[in-house]
Amino acid sequence: MGVIELQGLEVRLGGRPVLNGLTGELRGSAIGLLGPNGAGKSTLINTLLGFHTPSAGAARVLGMDSRRQRAQIRERIGYMPENDSFIGNMSGVRFVRYMAELAGLPSRVALERAHEALFFVGLGEVRYRKVSTYSLGMKQLIKLAQALAHGPRLLILDEPTNGLDPMARQRMIQMLRDIRATGSIRLLISSHLLRDIDEICDDVMILKQGRIAAICNIEEERRSHRNFIEVETVGQTDALCAALRDRGCECACFASGRLKLVMPDSIGVRDLYVAAGQHGVEIRRVHRRRDSLEDIFLRAMDLEPARGELVRI
Amino acid sequence: MSVFKHEYRAYEGRVTRRWERIGVLVRYGLAEAWSSRITVGLFTLAMLPVIADLVAIYLANNAVARMMVSPGGKFPLEINSNFFLRVLSAQCWLALVVNAWVAPRLVSFDLADNALPILLSHPISRFGYVAGKFISLFSILSLVTWVPCLLLFGYQAYTAPQPWFGANIQVGLGLLEGSLVWIAIVALLGLALSSWVKWRMVATGVIFAAVFVPAGIGAVATGILRTRWGFLLNVPVMMTEIWQRLLGAPPVMKQDMELPGMAITLVLLAAVAICVALLNARIRAREVVRG
Repeated sequence: MGVIELQGLEVRLGGRPVLNGLTGELRGSAIGLLGPNGAGKSTLINTLLGFHTPSAGAARVLGMDSRRQRAQIRERIGYMPENDSFIGNMSGVRFVRYMAELAGLPSRVALERAHEALFFVGLGEVRYRKVSTYSLGMKQLIKLAQALAHGPRLLILDEPTNGLDPMARQRMIQMLRDIRATGSIRLLISSHLLRDIDEICDDVMILKQGRIAAICNIEEERRSHRNFIEVETVGQTDALCAALRDRGCECACFASGRLKLVMPDSIGVRDLYVAAGQHGVEIRRVHRRRDSLEDIFLRAMDLEPARGELVRI
Repeated sequence: MSVFKHEYRAYEGRVTRRWERIGVLVRYGLAEAWSSRITVGLFTLAMLPVIADLVAIYLANNAVARMMVSPGGKFPLEINSNFFLRVLSAQCWLALVVNAWVAPRLVSFDLADNALPILLSHPISRFGYVAGKFISLFSILSLVTWVPCLLLFGYQAYTAPQPWFGANIQVGLGLLEGSLVWIAIVALLGLALSSWVKWRMVATGVIFAAVFVPAGIGAVATGILRTRWGFLLNVPVMMTEIWQRLLGAPPVMKQDMELPGMAITLVLLAAVAICVALLNARIRAREVVRG
């Protein structure tokens, strides 16, 4: 069962289609949701939460229909919205306890878990202060605490690192990695920051103009490019190229001794050095090309998806 | 697990039933309302007429006390439907004051800090949210209206000679029904208007204005056009007529100025429908901008 399943999902807001026939399945333990402004990321999250009703198609969260099983879905998810969203005149612990009780925890358990969640996110020392007195970073953290307190199975985070300084951002990312590592909770993270997604997620869905531009597994994408190597050399590169081709490499020579190689699995970088030594070529620099999420994102943005069709990247 | 072990752990324990979560909203709503000293002050103020009425009932039914207050003469106060109409009116108008203070506290804090997306992302519907707030407000207003009114009625029934209770049971039912109608309407009005005004003090003023400004316009219309229909905008007049009829008290208006019961009912239902529409438009996790 996928974490999120979309079947021709269409959402219209104010008579305008915002999500247009989304179809796909996400199974990863941490899913990134990427896309430029207005691509439909927040609308998709709101639809999964049951705030917007699909005009066509269906969305399933943890196997439950977002239209018919809203309450069941909301019981199993924790949601951290993008913008400020809290009750300012409550103390931190009271606010988190309130939210945990609304999620279904008995009062005493909710209090205990509120304390735990606040310590977990690093707000233990300020938990009795009113939320309105918190800094921007602390407000982000208390939103995370309330999303975690009831022990959800899926955590939906909308721009979790918004407004955080570099240190706080790193702490937030580490925290999300720790949560992910427990294995008991799945993450769906919407962010503009590719680095955040890159550091936390294994699956990514890229939206463009209300359609899915790409769904991919980041690690698989990287693996598929792992044998692409760029080399800078000094010496007779033609002979080296010929030797590498004989051993099954795809090799292209460029000016200034630059080579681009796609090596078969049977050949390692060490073999490259050995071959260079045999032909009197000095290797000055080896760059193993690692596809960054930015490359994946930019390629998805360049390609124009047809309705209901995924772009291969 | 102790709080100093800073690790995330899933929750596998018991969860409450869904309908119980409305009770969570009620509990937090009540706590929020009573956390203000002004609420306590207003509640105390609303109890002062009740104490005065209690003393009046005691004096009216105790021959020795009556003799001490008015030696030789007749005691000026009779405990009847008219007396309880005055009690009910006083308590209901004090309930409006309490409502104007408490209703904005229940809703405005959530709206001011945009808490609705988080609140409604939990397994609680928009109806459940409004129901929770409504029950909080309704129970606070009950403490000011039908609860003290019925206690006074019960005390009068206990101290008066036995036929009094049997002959005046309609008064007791009228106190309950009249209070319930009033607090249901003002609680809805309070929540609806508070949901549109983020600033609590302004919301308090708007609630009073919503009751008394149309009353003024209605009075002007009645005076200029010499028609009774202007009273349909006058909530104090309409409610006094309802309470008078429910308690079986003598009419307070001239016969040609009395409003038909159906007309009053329709106006109150229209007011309730407007309040529900206002709440429906405002209590949302996300606003959709059209166009």
